[in-house]
Amino acid sequence: MEQTIKKTNQVLSAVVLGAMYAVMIVLAFTMIFPYIYMVLTTFKPMQETVQAGMHLFPVHWTAEAYAEVWELVPFGRGILNTMTVEIPVILVGTFTSALGAFAFAKMRLPCSRALLLTLMSSMMVPFAALFLPQYQIWSSLNLTNNLLPLILPGLFGNISMVFFFIQFMGGIPNALLEAAKIDGCGYFKSFVHIMLPLLWPAMAAQGVFWFLGIWNDYFAPSIYLTREDVMTLQPLINRLNATQGGRDFPLVMTGAFLSSIPLIAVYLIFQKYFMSALSITSGIK
Amino acid sequence: MEKHKDGKLVRREKITALAFVSPLIIGFVVFTLICMIVSFAWSFTNFNPISGRMKFDGLERYVELFTHPTYKKAFLDSIVNTLFLLLSTPLCIVISVLIASLMNSKKFKGKTFFRVVIYLPAVTSVVAVNYIWRYMFEENYGLINAFFHANIPWLTDNTLIKVAMIIKNVWGGIGTQVILFMAGMQNISDEYYEAAELDGAGAAYKFFHITLPLVTPVLFYTIITGLIGGFQLYADVELFAGGQYGSRTIVHFIRNYGVGQNLYGLASAASFLLAAVIMLITALQFKFSKWVQYTD
Repeated sequence: MEQTIKKTNQVLSAVVLGAMYAVMIVLAFTMIFPYIYMVLTTFKPMQETVQAGMHLFPVHWTAEAYAEVWELVPFGRGILNTMTVEIPVILVGTFTSALGAFAFAKMRLPCSRALLLTLMSSMMVPFAALFLPQYQIWSSLNLTNNLLPLILPGLFGNISMVFFFIQFMGGIPNALLEAAKIDGCGYFKSFVHIMLPLLWPAMAAQGVFWFLGIWNDYFAPSIYLTREDVMTLQPLINRLNATQGGRDFPLVMTGAFLSSIPLIAVYLIFQKYFMSALSITSGIK
Repeated sequence: MEKHKDGKLVRREKITALAFVSPLIIGFVVFTLICMIVSFAWSFTNFNPISGRMKFDGLERYVELFTHPTYKKAFLDSIVNTLFLLLSTPLCIVISVLIASLMNSKKFKGKTFFRVVIYLPAVTSVVAVNYIWRYMFEENYGLINAFFHANIPWLTDNTLIKVAMIIKNVWGGIGTQVILFMAGMQNISDEYYEAAELDGAGAAYKFFHITLPLVTPVLFYTIITGLIGGFQLYADVELFAGGQYGSRTIVHFIRNYGVGQNLYGLASAASFLLAAVIMLITALQFKFSKWVQYTD
């Protein structure tokens, strides 16, 4: 009797496990399939993409769309423009955020609580409620079709990053900083020489997602940039769709694919790191 | 003497600290505070930067949003569309919780592989995700219709376009959430489950009475970020739906009437209402966050 129950349980849990894998495999397929389809489409001649029915693989393989993308839009320029925004914003913005967090976490700052709450209230304000005046300011300075409107605000730091750094610095013992003070180190020096090296993992985790956010930003660049030679990657890729009336699927898919490769490659190489960064950032782990 | 010296040092420390936070303060004042005030002020005028007209009009723009023959429909429809699209938030959360609990089961092998795969959309460019799905939902040549041997007008019907957008956004959104829920679930001590098993608890009981209550911090986080992000949906309207009427969100309305048609007063009024709603939701959620349980 007992043996039969045990056996039924074993069969049951095998069935459950099997069902679990079935669900997960279907899920994984759903996640990956659009990418496979995208890549296969890039190798199709245009006629093959405007036929009814299921045609997964190209009948006539061609790499025409790849050459066309570079001819139609300044793709390399787009990457360069995106990096022109990324590098100063990430480097300077992370630094100013860390410096500000240092004052909040480790120094006597007047009205620090009220100040922090005020700064954090900006996280609740949607960009949609701010961009009209911002747009007006930049266009009156003749700075539309310029990357400055995308760079400058970021240099003043990122408040969610500040908040995260403050929490992280809370776990760093004051004794380390006190020791430096006795050695006659100024606050800035002890920030640079003691805090920054310790803050490295937190900065990397936050920096990764800020980088991702800037790379994928579409709204702000699409407002400020109307000329192709100044466009960042996302609005530039969108031009491929607009110029061809949205009908040249191989071309559009190639643009989509090319604009995704750098991030996906970085992600696949450092995926372990991304996962822990994600948990750190949301404060769950 | 000693005390005086100390006071001087403290004052110096305070001044240095203020200097360190000054970039943050300047950034906040210039790019958030001033812009918010200006935008709020514009909402009481008929400001048009091209004609240069600017006259104080009181609450006229707010009244127009709800009564004007041309703007009313566009505005109210954009609200309905935005709320409809918000459905992807609960859907995404339910699916993510289920997948995360599946993947967290001890017998399950291959966690790393599935995690990498599920998170892929989060690192794919926004334009790319929208284009791939737009092509797949295409009425005549799209794979989805071909697969079901159907001719469903996903991209041209005012309701179906929203359904398609929700499907796409759930696909793109579960990655982040599954990882967050998994991290949350890994923090739950095994003792809870072992104790429940001794009492003869089944899988469903354990899920609803242990797992779910103990991941409420993650749940809370995903609801807030989901709603805040959902209210600000814009890129999808242009990139996925090509500006199709049934897809137009509140932010699309603000951009269209603001930068597009130079009706800054009207757009500012709409943007202020949007900001008020988002702030209210955030505040309410923090007020009612007492049901959130923290393991520590």
